[in-house]
This record gives sequence, C-alpha cells and structure tokens, in this order.
Amino acid sequence: MNIIVCMKQIPDLQQIRIKERKPVLEGVPLIFGDMDKNALEEAVRIKEKMGTGKITVLALGPAKLKDTIKEALAIGADEAVLLIDPAFAGSDSAATAKALAKAIQKMGGYDLILCGEGSTDNYSGQVGPRLAELLDLPQITYVRELEVADGKIKAVRNMEESFEVVEADLPAVVTVAAEINTPRLASLKQILQAARKPVQTWTPADLGLAGDAVGAKGTAVEVLSNLAPETARKQVVFKGELDEVIGNLVDALIKEGVLGR
Amino acid sequence: MEKMDVVIVGGGLAGLATAYCLADEGLAILVAEKGDFPGSKNVTGGRIYLNPVRDLFPDLWDEAPLERHVVRERLTMIAESSSTTVELRSDRFDQAPYHSFTILRAKFDRWFGDKVAEKGAFVIPKSKVDDLVIQGGRVVGIVADGDEIYADVVVAADGVLSLMAEKAGLRKGREPKHYAVSVKEVIELPRQTIEDRFNLEGNQGLAQLFFGALTKGMMGGGFLYTNLESISLGLVVGIKALMQREPKLEVHQMMEDFKQRPEVRPLIKGGEVVEYSAHVITEGGIHAMPKLYGDGILVVGDAAGFGLNMLMTVRGMEYALASGAMAAQTIKRAREKNDFSAATLSCYEQLVRDSFIYKELQTFSHVLNVLENPRLFNLYPKVFCDLLEKLMWIDKEPKQKLSTTVLQELRGNLLNMETIKDAFSFLKI
Amino acid sequence: MAEILVFCEKDDVALELISKGKEFKSALGMSLAAALLGQGAAGKADDYFAYGADRVYVSEDAALVPFTAEAYAEALYQIAQRHGAEVLLLGSTKRGKELAPRVAQKLEAGCITDANSVRVEDGQLVADRYAFGGNTVATGAIKTPQKVIAVMPKTFALGAREAKKGEVVDAALSLKTPRTRVVERKEKAGEAVNLEEAEAIVCIGRGLEKKEDLRIVEELARVLGAEVGCTKSLSTDWGWLSEDRLVGLSGKKVSPRLCVSVGISGQIQYTVGIRGARITVSINKDENAPIFALSDYGVVGNLYEVLPRLTEKLKSL
Ligand SMILES: Cc1cc2nc3c(=O)[nH]c(=O)nc-3n(C[C@H](O)[C@H](O)[C@H](O)COP(=O)(O)OP(=O)(O)OC[C@H]3O[C@@H](n4cnc5c(N)ncnc54)[C@H](O)[C@@H]3O)c2cc1C
Ligand SMILES: Cc1cc2nc3c(=O)[nH]c(=O)nc-3n(C[C@H](O)[C@H](O)[C@H](O)COP(=O)(O)OP(=O)(O)OC[C@H]3O[C@@H](n4cnc5c(N)ncnc54)[C@H](O)[C@@H]3O)c2cc1C
Ligand SMILES: Nc1ncnc2c1ncn2[C@@H]1O[C@H](COP(=O)(O)O)[C@@H](O)[C@H]1O
Repeated sequence: MNIIVCMKQIPDLQQIRIKERKPVLEGVPLIFGDMDKNALEEAVRIKEKMGTGKITVLALGPAKLKDTIKEALAIGADEAVLLIDPAFAGSDSAATAKALAKAIQKMGGYDLILCGEGSTDNYSGQVGPRLAELLDLPQITYVRELEVADGKIKAVRNMEESFEVVEADLPAVVTVAAEINTPRLASLKQILQAARKPVQTWTPADLGLAGDAVGAKGTAVEVLSNLAPETARKQVVFKGELDEVIGNLVDALIKEGVLGR
Repeated sequence: MEKMDVVIVGGGLAGLATAYCLADEGLAILVAEKGDFPGSKNVTGGRIYLNPVRDLFPDLWDEAPLERHVVRERLTMIAESSSTTVELRSDRFDQAPYHSFTILRAKFDRWFGDKVAEKGAFVIPKSKVDDLVIQGGRVVGIVADGDEIYADVVVAADGVLSLMAEKAGLRKGREPKHYAVSVKEVIELPRQTIEDRFNLEGNQGLAQLFFGALTKGMMGGGFLYTNLESISLGLVVGIKALMQREPKLEVHQMMEDFKQRPEVRPLIKGGEVVEYSAHVITEGGIHAMPKLYGDGILVVGDAAGFGLNMLMTVRGMEYALASGAMAAQTIKRAREKNDFSAATLSCYEQLVRDSFIYKELQTFSHVLNVLENPRLFNLYPKVFCDLLEKLMWIDKEPKQKLSTTVLQELRGNLLNMETIKDAFSFLKI
Repeated sequence: MAEILVFCEKDDVALELISKGKEFKSALGMSLAAALLGQGAAGKADDYFAYGADRVYVSEDAALVPFTAEAYAEALYQIAQRHGAEVLLLGSTKRGKELAPRVAQKLEAGCITDANSVRVEDGQLVADRYAFGGNTVATGAIKTPQKVIAVMPKTFALGAREAKKGEVVDAALSLKTPRTRVVERKEKAGEAVNLEEAEAIVCIGRGLEKKEDLRIVEELARVLGAEVGCTKSLSTDWGWLSEDRLVGLSGKKVSPRLCVSVGISGQIQYTVGIRGARITVSINKDENAPIFALSDYGVVGNLYEVLPRLTEKLKSL
C-alpha cells in the first residue's frame, strides 16, 4: 500500500498580525496545515493497521520546507518529495495541482492520495479535486472515517444534511476533514531519527514542466488585492469585582441599544 | 539507542554559541529548544556589546541581523513630578566597528539557529527537555517526550531558571534576592518616526535607562532601546523588593504607569505594541553562580548565573556567547582525551575565571547590596530633581543666590548618616 | 453568444445565482443558462425561467443519481463545451465546492471557491473570498478564457419571479458510471435554526466543560432573545450542538445586532464569522485572549460565574 500525503506549508495563522491591513509574515513560524496533519495521521494509522506500506509526503513550497518536513517524517512518513524552486513561487491552486500531479505521476505506483479538505490558509478545497481530475481518479472529499481493505476504500463523508457512506476502488484521492482524527505529536527522538529518512527535492525541470508553466506564471487567477477588512472594535475590557463588571457591561449594552427586543 | 556526541539544552545565545563553535568538528550535536524557534520566547532588552565577543565569532557579525548601533546614551532620573536626563552622544560610538548594537533576539537567535543548523547541527525547536539521564553519578543524556537521548556531554544552556543545573545537583536552592522580574514591550513605529523622535540618522541608535520613582522605591529601573522599526521598552524590578512591598504592586501595572510618564509617553506615541513578554533575570552575579561543571555536564550563560544587573543595564548576552565558546573549547579538549569526567571538564571553570566574565562579575560583586538601597530610587532622584527645579524656577520674589539654593537643598536632604554611608557604598561599585 | 452557465444541486441557491446572473448577463453581454441535472430535473425548468434563465440544459441520466462530483463535473464540462459557456456560476455548498475545481480542471480553467461577492469591474468578473484563514479578503479575477466561480449560499438575494419562458435543451450527455458508489446516507438530526437571520447570538466555545453546562448558555440566550451558536469542536467534533450552529470560516457568517462570545479564544477562523455583528461582547477568563481585541466590550472572568450573574442581572431589568 503506497500512500501519498499532500501537505502544504503555511505560516502559523495564530501568530499573524495585521499591519496596515496586510498580514505580517516576517518571523511567523511555518508549519503544515491542520487538516494536512490529519491526512498524515490517517496515513500512519492505515499503515499501522495494515502492518505494511509506504508513506510519502509531497509538498510544494519555499525552501523552509526542508525544516518543516522533519516533523512529518518523525510522525511516520517514510520519505518526502519536496517541490522547491524559485519558479514555483506564487503558485495558486491550479498551478500547485499541476505540479503535484506531475510529481505523483513521476513517483508512480500509488494506491491512495490523501489531502486536507482545504488548506488552513486558503481553505479553497481545490487541490484534491483537481488532482483527482488530472490523474483521472475517483475523489472522495470531506472524509471523517476511512477504512481501507482489499484494494477498496470505504469512507464516511460529512455533508451538510447527512453522513454519506461511499466506496471506491483504489487508487483514489481522499480529502479529510478535521474531525477524522487527532494528529499525534513527534517526539524529539523521532525527529532525530527522521533525519535519516530520504528527502528528495524536485524542480520544474525534474517534472518536465517549463519554468513559465508553474508558479506565478502558471496561475489561473490573478489576485487584484488581498487586504484585511477594516474593523474597528471599541475594545473596552471590564475586569475586577464581578457585580461591578456586570453592571458596567449591562449599562454599556443599554447605551448601545442592543438589549431588549 | 539514540546517541549524540553533544546535547545542548536551550537554544538561546549560550546554547547556540556552544553548538556554533563545535559544529565544524563534524560532531553529532543536538540543540533542543522548547520555543517555537530559537529566540521565540526571549525577552532581552536589549543591547549587545560586541568588543568582548567579536573575535570569538569572527565570521558572525557581518551579516548578523542586529538593529541599530548605539551612538546616544541617555540616563533619566525620575522623581514623582519631575525628571532629569543626561545624554551622551559620541563620535567614537559612531565609528565602525561599532561597539554596541540594539538587538531583537527573536530575530537574531532565529538567524543564529539557522546558521548553526547550516553547519550541520540539529537545532530542534518545540522540544522541551524534561530531565537528565544520570548513571552512577554522571550525566549521560537527557529525557524528552519520555525518550532518552544519550550524549558524551550535556550542556545546560537553559537560561536563568536552569532546570538542568538543578537536576545535575550543581545548583542548590535559590534566593529571591538574586533575581528580578522584568516586562518588556516591543512597540512598532515607522523607521522615520524613530529617527526624527530620537535625533538619529540612518542606522544610529539610542539607549535610554530610567531609574527612580518608576519602581516606587523598589530596586530596579526602566530601559528603552531603539530598534530599526520598533522600540523595546521595559521595566526591571527586584523580586525580593516586590515580595516585601506593601501594598502589593503588579509589575504590569507599573509598566502601564511607566508608559504614561511624560518622559515616555511622547516617545512611544502612535506606536503599536506587537509583543509583550515577562521574564526573570539573574541579578545575583557571582553570588548566584552554581557549580559550572560535573561529570558529563557543563553549564553556560544565564543558567550559570552569568548576568549582571547594574541598576538599569542588564548584561548577560556577551557572557552567554563567551561562555558558550569556552564550553565548546572544553568539549574539544575532552574529546581529544575521550574523557568527559568532571576532572577534564573542570578546565571550563578555569577558562571562565580567566576571562572577562568572572572578572567583571567579581568587580561588581557589591552591586547588589548597594542596589537594594531604596533611597537610590526615591530619595536621590527626588533631591536632585527638586534642586534643579528650584534653580530653574523664577518667581515673583527676587531669585536668591544659586549657591544658597544648592546648599539649602543638600543640607536639608543629604547631610545625614544614612546618606553619607550610601556615598561610601557607591564608591565600591 | 457566450454563455453564463449556472448550476447548484440546491435549487434555492441556483435561483439566487440566476437572479444575480441577470445583472452579469447584461454587463458582460452574454446569455444566461442553467443546468438541470438528476432525477426530476425537467420539472424545474419553469422556475428557472421565472427567475431569469434564458435556457436550461436538462439531463436525467442515470449516472447523475446519486450526486457524485465525478459525474456532475463531466456533465457540466460537456454542456459548457458544447454550448460555449464562458462563466460557470456554481453554488459553494459542500458539493458545489468539490465540483467546481474538478470541472475547472477539465476546462483547464481558473476557479474561485467560497466567493462571497462577485461583481463586474472594468468589464471583467471579479470575486472576493477570505484568505489567510480569514485574516484578509482576496479579490481575484480569473485569467483563463473559461471561468468557474463557486458562490457561497445567500450571497445574492433571490430576485422577483417574472412571467418568462425559455428554451429547454436536452443536454444529451454521454456519461460513464461514476467510480465512487454511495452505499448509504444517514440523515443528520436537523434543527430549524437560522443564525444568519438572528438579531442576537450567544456563541459558546471550548471554555465550556461539558454538554450539560449548555443550560447556562441557553438561559443567557433566552433572556437576550438570542440564538446559540458555537465554535468548531462543539459541533463537528463533539456533536454537542448541530452544525447549523457553527459560526466561522467553515460555518455561518452572521450579522446580528449583538454577538456574545463566551469561552472562545478568538482564532481567526471563528472571528471571521462574526465580523458582520454590530456590537460584539466577549467573556473569557484569560485577559490576553485575542478575542478581546476583536470585541467592543469584554469581560475577564470565569464563564461559570459570569453567565449566571449576567442572566440574573438582565432578568432584573
Ligand atoms: C528584560 C531583559 C532585558 C535584558 N537586557 C539585556 C541587555 O540589554 N543586554 C544583555 O547583554 N543582556 C540583557 N538581558 C540578559 C540576557 O537576556 C541574557 O543574559 C541572555 O539571553 C542569556 O542567554 P542564554 O542563552 O544563557 O539564555 P536564554 O537566552 O534565556 O536562552 C535559554 C533558552 O533555553 C530554552 N529552554 C529553557 N528550558 C528548556 C528546556 N527544559 N528544554 C529546552 N529548552 C529550554 C529557553 O526557551 C531559551 O530559549 C536582559 C534580560 C531581560 C529579561
Ligand atoms: C480550515 C479551518 C476552518 C475552521 N473553521 C472554523 C469555523 O468555522 N468556526 C470555528 O469556530 N472554528 C473553526 N476552525 C477552528 C479554529 O481554528 C479554532 O480551533 C476554534 O475556533 C477554537 O475554538 P474555541 O475558541 O472555542 O477554543 P479555544 O481556542 O480552545 O479557546 C477556548 C477559550 O476559552 C477560554 N476559557 C476556558 N475556560 C473558561 C472559563 N471557565 N471561563 C471563561 N473562559 C474560559 C480560554 O481562555 C480560551 O480562550 C477552523 C479551523 C480550520 C483549520
Ligand atoms: N503547496 C502544496 N503542497 C502540497 N499539498 C498541497 C499544497 N497546497 C495544497 N495542498 C493539498 O491540498 C489540500 C487543499 O488545499 P487548497 O486547495 O489550497 O484548499 C491541502 O489540504 C493539501 O493537502
């Protein structure tokens, strides 16, 4: 069983602050997206359960990936393929999916491709379905329970009004929802040991892609602006003796005219 | 079994310096840092003096992400409703190689960590070391996330409250008097505003220290450093004084009051607080030093108590860097002998004793007692500011001779046994 | 003539898209069509015409029942290619959101999902969506000749019905049996709650220790005349409240007069959902919780002490 897990490196959103309506990324730690970690965890569980298999993490992004990947390898991936090249910079979902698909084809021999339901920063949910189309595979999205046996998968999907149980033959693309599992944390020892696991870095040329077919040049959507909305809240904070605090709050709400129906 | 040559606990300056100096030797080195990245939890003011450490790390300083080189030094004495500031501006300070820089550790340590990793060491963030592995009285490894990781030698570089030194039995007990608490904010302002507000050009910087009424009679003081695009503003208060004080005061409230002082408010106006942090500082100097080595272990930087607080200048970064270099030197020697016993590692203490670290700590060893004197924070700033205020004031009445005013003020406030005793104690600094 | 092609498996959303599509149609000089796919599709045509569709493509092909992204993507692809659709306006429901990128990939087109505003600027369609986890709003324009935009439900208002007729076209699809097989569908216990319309909302987060304690939250909500909303764990992970009550990036974006966030830290994926509230109040025991910076009024305190007292005080008014 060969599982490929697609993981996106993103800035830790909890540490982002906004300055002049733009996010400040300098100094913000880079991590893998939440649901991508769920996807990896699921792969590790499948492998544990089956007792055999290989997990490859595939990630496209800036050079810092070489650091970030250590944690994924420590958690249980067997090897990693990193798509790192200046030409990849500025990829959107379409350009990312194109490069990831080429990499997956180059690797070959896959049974299951796992993605997050959406990346933690963009949450656009495009890469999984686009990969499925590019590789001509069935797609199963929003998965909260997954079972793999006899070359088949069975999944429970979390839809708006229902839980939908679906089946497909492998290979397939599956995108997982956050509730599928709780990802484990890597221990220091596992991180040290992971240093011996193979990591390959591929460029557009390795994928047979021209430099202008990938990254910013290969995008399908032009971003015209990307700014934080202006929200000015009053930020009045009451603390101290409870009765007084509640009195103050209620007075303020009365003045604002938001009490009463 | 996971075995490294050297495990360093703590990726601050001391730990990273140790790793940096050893990494070239092709050793398997692990730096375990509990923060999100090296420097992520650091509170340092700060400013660093390069002369003591420049030659220890010759390749480091050219591209190091330092902030501004300090050319203006201000000292502000604060009384309740007045203050006096003296300022030194010096050409000498403005000549390369510059003697001191302001520094943001979150930036610097992260970069330093990357450098160390480039040289082949493992710098692993988000990993907290919980314990040492001690076998037959010697330290042979560490425990993290329940796993044991072995090493020929462990370097305790885990900062001021070093758990490792304690676990190794090198530090026995602590005294509140040897520690201070501090809070610091980083306040972002446009580069140009900083330069206009503080009379700076290009990468010139300013350091300003405050003492007096802001600590309400307690040992401590305030600091302000200009970074490239922010200001570091902070407050240091002795823990003992804080514990003894009635009614109790909250340090963060003191910080708020400090920011509202007319001496400070206009300097930070319009800035956005982008970081707030609190930390403990060693004040103890030579008195608070643990044993510096044991079988299989060395203690460096703040963990070893290498810090000096002279009222409002906190120093520790040069000591951290230099002690790291000395620990590395010691480890290289121990490897040659393939002997990591206390006997071999003891040469680390000798290196420290022969260096500026120990000498400075010794020279200023009386500082703490002097600094505990509350008059330094309430009486003297007040007397001095009152005197100047009177000298400068013109009233309806004819002004009296300046010398008369001076004498009256001094006689009234300063000529008594206590203050004379103080004068002698200050001479010891 | 180039076409705008509308599709959503939920007819109410599709009709919202058609209502707005009329505007795009005249601004872009295109005609407005819709795809009606699956069981009972043909019977819906008149509704679609009444809201403004010029033409509908109908298929009740067996491969389209039940819904699979694979079959629906192929269906839309065939219709778009045969009839020259330049713009595909889909609903960003869960199904729409997995469908849109797959069709887009077939068309080698750019795609924007979760759009919460779409408009014509300088003769081209631009769409807004949240980015950076909700920290920012990204405005994008699709560069490829064909464009796929999946729009969040309720982004556009339903227009007025008109007595209008249009053309019914047999989509004449050739579809393969989809490779994913739906084995079973377990309906969720639905709840009639509409947070988007609520005048006041009390949202509860992970500060709540156990499900039984919801009672104190509901009591406060009652005196405020508010609905109860929640953060992610309470609905998707723990199932204490239904997903209709989830507020945030993957839940509802609400705009009440008053929104009270209780025991919620204020991570961006939640706060993006309450941006539209007129007055925001938060109650949290950690005075450094980021939620306070995004609140008009904050109370630092334990929710187990604050809520009962606040409820009591409000009752006494
Ligand atoms: C407010 C303030 C202002 C200061 N101003 C100045 C100044 O202007 N100039 C100056 O020279 N000095 C200043 N100092 C002192 C200076 O910060 C320290 O002397 C210096 O940082 C010491 O470096 P270090 O590497 O020994 O310790 P630290 O920099 O404290 O590094 C210790 C590291 O160990 C990590 N750690 C701790 N425990 C563990 C564990 N169990 N497992 C893994 N990692 C662990 C910590 O996260 C930390 O990163 C100031 C200090 C403070 C608090
Ligand atoms: C792609 C993506 C989409 C997401 N979409 C959503 C979404 O739509 N909606 C959503 O909510 N989340 C969403 N999340 C999850 C989100 O990132 C946060 O994990 C979630 O909002 C946190 O919920 P919380 O504030 O309740 O919990 P926490 O962050 O755990 O905060 C709990 C708070 O309660 C306080 N507290 C604890 N006890 C008490 C007490 N006794 N009294 C008072 N206060 C107390 C604590 O101080 C703390 O601040 C999404 C995440 C991702 C990656
Ligand atoms: N740059 C990337 N590298 C690897 N995987 C990615 C990348 N971007 C997105 N993915 C995968 O695609 C999923 C959906 O991403 P998105 O389409 O951006 O919402 C993520 O959860 C990842 O599993």
